[in-house]
Amino acid sequence: MNNIALGRYIPLNSPIHHLDPRTKIIGLILMMIAIFIPAGWFGYLLVGTAVFILTLLAKLKLSFLWRSMKPMLFMLVFLLVINLFIVREGDLWFSIGPFPIYSGAVFQTLYIVVRLMLMIVLTTVLTATTKPLELTLGIEDLLGPLKVIHVPAHEIAMMISIALRFIPTLIEETQRIMKAQASRGVDLEEGSFKEKVMAILSLIVPLFVSAFQHADDLANAMEARGYVPDQLRTRYKQLVMRGVDFLTLAVAVVLMVALIMMAWVL
Amino acid sequence: MEKVKVEDLCFAYDPNTPVIQSVSFTVEAGSYTTIIGHNGSGKSTIAKLMIGLLAAQSGKIWMDGLPLNEANIYEIRNRVGIVFQNPDNQFIGASVADDIAFGLENHQVQSDRMQAIIEDYAQRVGMQDFLNSEPTKLSGGQKQRVAIAGVLAMQPQMIIFDEATSMLDPQGKAEINDLIQEIHAQGDLTVISITHDIEEVAKSDHVIVLDQGRVVLDGHPDEILQHEAELIRLKLDIPFALKFRHELEKNGVSIHAGTTMEGMVAELCRLRSKS
Amino acid sequence: MPITFEKLSHEYHPDTPFAYLALDGIDLSIAEGKMTAIIGSTGSGKSTLVQHLNALLLPSGGSVTVLDRTITAGDKPKQLKELRKRVGLVFQFPEYQLFEETVAQDIAFGPKNFGMSEEEALAKAREMLAFVGLEESHLERSPFELSGGQKRRVAIAGILAMDPDVLVLDEPAAGLDPQGAKEMMSLFVKLNREYHKTVLIVTHDMEHVLRYCDDVVVVDHGHIVQTADTATFFRDTELLHQLRINPPAVIRLREALCANGFVLSDQLLEMEELAAAVAQAVKHHE
Repeated sequence: MNNIALGRYIPLNSPIHHLDPRTKIIGLILMMIAIFIPAGWFGYLLVGTAVFILTLLAKLKLSFLWRSMKPMLFMLVFLLVINLFIVREGDLWFSIGPFPIYSGAVFQTLYIVVRLMLMIVLTTVLTATTKPLELTLGIEDLLGPLKVIHVPAHEIAMMISIALRFIPTLIEETQRIMKAQASRGVDLEEGSFKEKVMAILSLIVPLFVSAFQHADDLANAMEARGYVPDQLRTRYKQLVMRGVDFLTLAVAVVLMVALIMMAWVL
Repeated sequence: MEKVKVEDLCFAYDPNTPVIQSVSFTVEAGSYTTIIGHNGSGKSTIAKLMIGLLAAQSGKIWMDGLPLNEANIYEIRNRVGIVFQNPDNQFIGASVADDIAFGLENHQVQSDRMQAIIEDYAQRVGMQDFLNSEPTKLSGGQKQRVAIAGVLAMQPQMIIFDEATSMLDPQGKAEINDLIQEIHAQGDLTVISITHDIEEVAKSDHVIVLDQGRVVLDGHPDEILQHEAELIRLKLDIPFALKFRHELEKNGVSIHAGTTMEGMVAELCRLRSKS
Repeated sequence: MPITFEKLSHEYHPDTPFAYLALDGIDLSIAEGKMTAIIGSTGSGKSTLVQHLNALLLPSGGSVTVLDRTITAGDKPKQLKELRKRVGLVFQFPEYQLFEETVAQDIAFGPKNFGMSEEEALAKAREMLAFVGLEESHLERSPFELSGGQKRRVAIAGILAMDPDVLVLDEPAAGLDPQGAKEMMSLFVKLNREYHKTVLIVTHDMEHVLRYCDDVVVVDHGHIVQTADTATFFRDTELLHQLRINPPAVIRLREALCANGFVLSDQLLEMEELAAAVAQAVKHHE
């Protein structure tokens, strides 16, 4: 469990870590848009360079980025293969068995790979440099204006932060229940289908029971400390946009606009 | 002056199995009151009823003369804090500071005033060096300290400890018990402690004994703990000092010490030097 | 055959930044047929230690021998079922492992996994439910309807139904009221004395250690710092203080009296003996 890199916060002291979470969320959205603008190979080079500079600024190691990409690798390869065989544009280059491969397919496939990799790296930069709680606060503030149309921004943020808070607890509990059931002869790897179903039930039922227990206790603790869902609350952690935040956003906007221009010219 | 008055309280989750049956008692302001009874005797249910987390079928509760009802429930929760049993399940924030802040946010304390308050209360429970720590990095005892700080920061007049030490290891138990004593000694807080620790009961000002949802004994521990046969029948512990006193009597020494170990030692020393 | 650990070490998350050496060079022998307490503060490594007994955790270094099975570091042992059947491990708060529709089915779950037929397993469930002190009428009830203490008993019955030779219990009395804890401990004493099971109890409760256990093993920071019979262990008050262990009430009282000028032998571990000695001392002065 501790080897998963995707989505993990890395406590470092970098300029990206110190940015306001809202800057990072909006920046991510702008960059994502930029990635999807078809501005040819030069466009990708531009965005790629920007992303590369970002990872340097965030002090993230290449090995870490590679590990966060690993779980997505299978999907990436799968998409590639499908795409390679299905697209029939451009010149016919060669055939693999009965499958003809076209030049268009190769280029498109490469574009897809680059896009996906850039997206994964960008998302990783966001989650690796932003504490989950800050991310939640950022989302809450960004959703704030939508309260007018009855989007429960605060409640959503509260739910996310509580879910994040209890993930380690539930992981720990899962491991404990697995061990307890293994001591009762449960074997998740071997056994018939029926035995496997029982094995999974013996894990899931206790996990649900304890999750509900946590929820019940937590609700009591929150209410006892004066929490009323739809009542106005103040907030301890305040987000403050600084000059560097506006600068970062400006760069992201410029980048996106540049790509749109390039796409338009093409 | 009475802080809490409970009168003829009845509660059941399902009508055929009553959990609380016409319970009445009063708690004096500033006192250290203990509630004991075996598991399932209704102790925790009473705690939840007192802060309105459960609604009684009948009976009344007053806090400083203010009746507990729909209209007053938030006012009463402002005045009464509670610390629960499971350290994990009451840690709401992502860090120590965030958790202490939770109640302040609910009370709409201004954001810029919070930092000072959080630091102050973290200091009082000895957690000032852990403000940014996440709950997974803390021991059970430390989490309970944070829970206590979170409750204290809301400046309640009374705190209920609902078996707050029962899931802790001996060090954690000792830490939290000492902290509770200290908090009680410092201010004019009323403390209600729901506990299995008979030695804690022996040191308290007032004890209420529950059995099957009823109050069966109610009074000063020096008096209540004399009802040994009754306590055994109720599946409760007897303080060690009391058991030891009986052993001494068997050996022809009768002494008039209280129910605490300290009292026993003092009395034995007095006897020894006198002779 | 005793349970032996030879130079056993265990490291969590090896080769990662989170690597943590929980046990370091454990040499230990636990006598067969005894009731042994395993004590140590939270995080000392005692839970890690006992999880090697049924190969839930495998040694990073050294070896462990339980019954006639030796597991050495680097092994990828197969056929662990036999070992897991013979070493019953009860985790802390075992009530959280209940999941079946009825109490009978839940108790029978373990035995069935270890190859017992449905009928045999259900018969065993009936027998064990009685053994842990619950009425037969509970058999067809849902385990989730029971009280906390009853759930705990059902969960323990589920392990006993596997008929293990060695029973390992991680804080079996945690969270129970004093009476419930006493009954629980009596159950293990009965298993040990009458059914000759080797019983290992991980506990923080020194009163239980003094009253019920034959031997004591002390784990501290991943090392074994003491193995002794209970009486010897509690005589070493210096070690108790060093380990920040709060001694049983008898010893606390004796120490408090000694600090106030009483002369009392450190052999006194029973309340009755201490009372007699104290009475003597007081009367002697008269």
